[in-house]
Amino acid sequence: MIEIHNLTKTFEKIKAVDEVSVTIKENTVFGLIGTNGAGKSTVLRIVSGVLKPDSGTVAVDNMPVYDNVEAKKKLFFIADEPYFFANSNAQTMERYYSGVYEEFSSEEFYKYLENFNLDKRRKIGTFSKGMKKQLALILGICSHTKYLLCDETFDGLDPVMRQGIKSIFAKEMEERGMTPVIASHNLRELEDICDHVGLLHKGGVLLSKDLEDMKCNIQKVQCVFTTIEDEMKALNGMDVIKKEQRGSLRTFTVRGTREEVTARFATVDTVFYEVLPLSLEEIFISETEVVGYDIKKLILG
Amino acid sequence: MTSRNSFWASSKENHKRRVWVWIIAVLAQLMMYVGVLTVYLSRIRMWNTQGSYRTKEEYQNALYQATRDALAFQDNLLLPLIILTVIIGIQGFSYLYDRRKVDMYHSVPVDKNRRFAVVYVNGLIIYLTSTLVSLLIGVITAAVQGAVNGAVMAAVGLGFLWNLLFFLVIYHTTILAVMLTGNRFITVCIGGMLILYERIIYSLMGSMQYSFFDTVSGFYVMHEPKLSVLYDYDMNMWDFKQIQEIRELAGELLPYYGKWFILAVVLLAVSWLCYRKRPSEAAGKAIAFPVIEPFLKVVAAIPAGIGLGMWVHSAAYGNAILTAVSMAGAGVIACAAIEVIYDFDLKSLFKHLISSGIAVAGIVFIFLSFKLDLFGYDEYLPSVDELDSIAVNVDYYGQFWDKDFNYFSTSEFSEEHMYLQDKEAVLTLADKARAEDAEDMTDARCINVLYRLKSGRKVGRRFWVDFANPGNEELLNRIMGTKEFKEGSFQIMTDQDSFAEATAMVYSNGATNAALPAEDALKLREAYVKDMEQFDFTMVINNRPCGRINVSFPNWFNTTLDVYDNFENTIAYLQSKEAFYPIELNPEDIADITITHYHNEIYGDGDEDGIMPLEDVAVADTWVVDSDYAYESVPVISETFMEEEEFAQIVPHIYPEFLSSAWNHTYELDGDYDIYITFKKDTTYPYDRSQFGVYYRFYTGEVPEFVVEATAIGAEEE
Repeated sequence: MIEIHNLTKTFEKIKAVDEVSVTIKENTVFGLIGTNGAGKSTVLRIVSGVLKPDSGTVAVDNMPVYDNVEAKKKLFFIADEPYFFANSNAQTMERYYSGVYEEFSSEEFYKYLENFNLDKRRKIGTFSKGMKKQLALILGICSHTKYLLCDETFDGLDPVMRQGIKSIFAKEMEERGMTPVIASHNLRELEDICDHVGLLHKGGVLLSKDLEDMKCNIQKVQCVFTTIEDEMKALNGMDVIKKEQRGSLRTFTVRGTREEVTARFATVDTVFYEVLPLSLEEIFISETEVVGYDIKKLILG
Repeated sequence: MTSRNSFWASSKENHKRRVWVWIIAVLAQLMMYVGVLTVYLSRIRMWNTQGSYRTKEEYQNALYQATRDALAFQDNLLLPLIILTVIIGIQGFSYLYDRRKVDMYHSVPVDKNRRFAVVYVNGLIIYLTSTLVSLLIGVITAAVQGAVNGAVMAAVGLGFLWNLLFFLVIYHTTILAVMLTGNRFITVCIGGMLILYERIIYSLMGSMQYSFFDTVSGFYVMHEPKLSVLYDYDMNMWDFKQIQEIRELAGELLPYYGKWFILAVVLLAVSWLCYRKRPSEAAGKAIAFPVIEPFLKVVAAIPAGIGLGMWVHSAAYGNAILTAVSMAGAGVIACAAIEVIYDFDLKSLFKHLISSGIAVAGIVFIFLSFKLDLFGYDEYLPSVDELDSIAVNVDYYGQFWDKDFNYFSTSEFSEEHMYLQDKEAVLTLADKARAEDAEDMTDARCINVLYRLKSGRKVGRRFWVDFANPGNEELLNRIMGTKEFKEGSFQIMTDQDSFAEATAMVYSNGATNAALPAEDALKLREAYVKDMEQFDFTMVINNRPCGRINVSFPNWFNTTLDVYDNFENTIAYLQSKEAFYPIELNPEDIADITITHYHNEIYGDGDEDGIMPLEDVAVADTWVVDSDYAYESVPVISETFMEEEEFAQIVPHIYPEFLSSAWNHTYELDGDYDIYITFKKDTTYPYDRSQFGVYYRFYTGEVPEFVVEATAIGAEEE
């Protein structure tokens, strides 16, 4: 488990990370969402031991990470622009990382390279941006560290590749309990990968929740009531996050399980009602609007 | 088998990324050692074929010296060595400049200390390997050509250690500069500052002292940088090349080895601490530790301001206001420039005005402390009680050597041998000098003084004394008439051993030379030392030497002994060898006298350059006519006199230029005329008939009228 507690980091009077507290549980895919400058990279760089926080703590399996080789053995950090040695090829990088990470699997590495159609002898300098990210991911996965910290790593990967990586993640999580932490500015990019999402904004955490919890506890209901009294009766005692009206069609975003919400609406007289699933995007919109933010401006553009 | 994450495995991995540094290091060292050695040896062989060496031994020694010069202490090595060291230092830790590299290196499970050690040791390995391989090839090359012996090998070893320690200090300084900075350009700037700062400060302080203080003297006490390896390297290289005796060479080197080693260790420790403390986010920034930015700005801006100000000071003929304004202005500009460099942003010009203010205030304070002599530099005069002894130099410079015939400067000899006890005489003279202006003196002489304080401190000062002022005579006699003064000014007074090894002696009165037997040197010395009891200021100021003895010693050293009319013992010895001739010339012996008149009257009292405007020279229209030698249109007129009658009028008024003494009044001989005399074949005395002839000068105010007329501007035209 990675425990981040009250983390603060300032760069030249600008607070990049402000009192961030997040817990990253093992064997989950943790998504760290935020706009550019929200502090995602800084959090990951602190978690990977690159940066020393001004205050607060980061514990990786109960070990402080900064300047601690034992903690770092459990981490592999893929920066937003991964660095490869000048004039190197995949083989060179494999030799380096296999010397650095005790459990690095060279066999797996070459297997993945083949699967991803990456030439082990080709100069990395000639790789496309996406290929470099693939190589970095393969190196990270094959290092067999417990935590894989990916900073914008999925940005630029095509859907097929993303799907491939996703299945590798699933396999590694199942086989050895790997915990990927993925930072991205694109919510849609993480929707189908993450189990848990933390939303960063201006250095602070707006929310951090399990995706399933979020999905299960928030529902969208489209409904046409027969009378105003029915509407009042249906909504009485319900936690309505958002309410929209188009003619007689009402759309509510409410907290509660699907069963609870369905049961409530069944008790009143309606012309029509339907409980619909929310996309991750809609959940975020609803959740952040509650705390006074317009998520569309923050993440979705 | 090496473990995959052992130190040496990491080292090997690191070397893979330093291949180009390896190539540069090996090529540079091969060129600097083997290349230079080949050139030196081939030059010696060429000279040998041209017959430059008289004996086989001389040739052999030249070969040995060439090997030493190339492989042990080489003049040309300094700059390439510094450049190579800086490259090795910067390249090794350059990953710290790049955020991407820092992200990778600092996130992987490698101990920070291990990483530092690996990069550091690899830099050292690159230097050591390239140097040792080059030296080995060099030694083999020299051995094949018979240019190596045990002493040369020992010197090469000592030279290797000297260069290695120099490398370490520069290497560690470079690493420290890398740790303090975030990009290569600033690293080079800070590294340069660290290496040169002390030397620059000493140079600026020296320049300011000489510009603003009257009593400053570098004769005895030279304020030299204490920690500058560059200064040590540069200043000592020539000396080390000369020392042949290996024990002596090792003895000379040892203090530097010790100092440099300590310096290297301290720099490495500070570098390592900075490395430990250096934040990863410093990559790409100018300075890694923001807290030192104001300090660096102030310490860089102050010498920059003072340096420019002193340049303006000399260009503006000492204009104080202009100097102060330019110093402060340069300080402000330097501060602004440094801020721009820090932020890579022109808008930062006037950021952090407090530190800029401190820098400018520092510059102004330093300027005022020199200009107004706030700390009483020129007022310094120790009390008699404070003083242990004094050494002085009264405008006299000679050639000195130690017991092994190694060079000694006048100041070194004086410092080692002169311990004046009449402190009051020196202090009174120095005190009197404070109230006088050298420009108002008739015969101003510079007296350099070394005050040896009881506290162990040594203070060097100078002051001016008017030799023509009778009021100074008694005090000067109290100084110059003492045994201590003579022992500290003339090697003959104490050095009996050297005279036992004299190789030649020649007496000359300016026109006649006579060889004396070298084996008589001790006898001559005894006579001369006895005569020197009469030596004091009154004697030397009122008498001119009637002759001079030149004594030669091994290693091309020689000393000159002025002989005065009252030096009875010396003259008696010379007479016993039939070598003493009267100084007066016999006109009958003279073939001709050529007198050159330089017309220096057009100098002085003119404009600021010291040259009188042309229109003020009455004869401007004729001035280059018939001149034998003209320099920038200055009229120089020569006339040759052939008549014995003319010789008779000239001879009583001339004095051999060769015998000009440091002690006599400079104005007593007329420097405007050169007198060149050639002699007939059969003469009373064996005059010098070499191609150089003999030169004389007129006593001031005693130039015969016919000479003045014959050499006047326009005279030859008539």
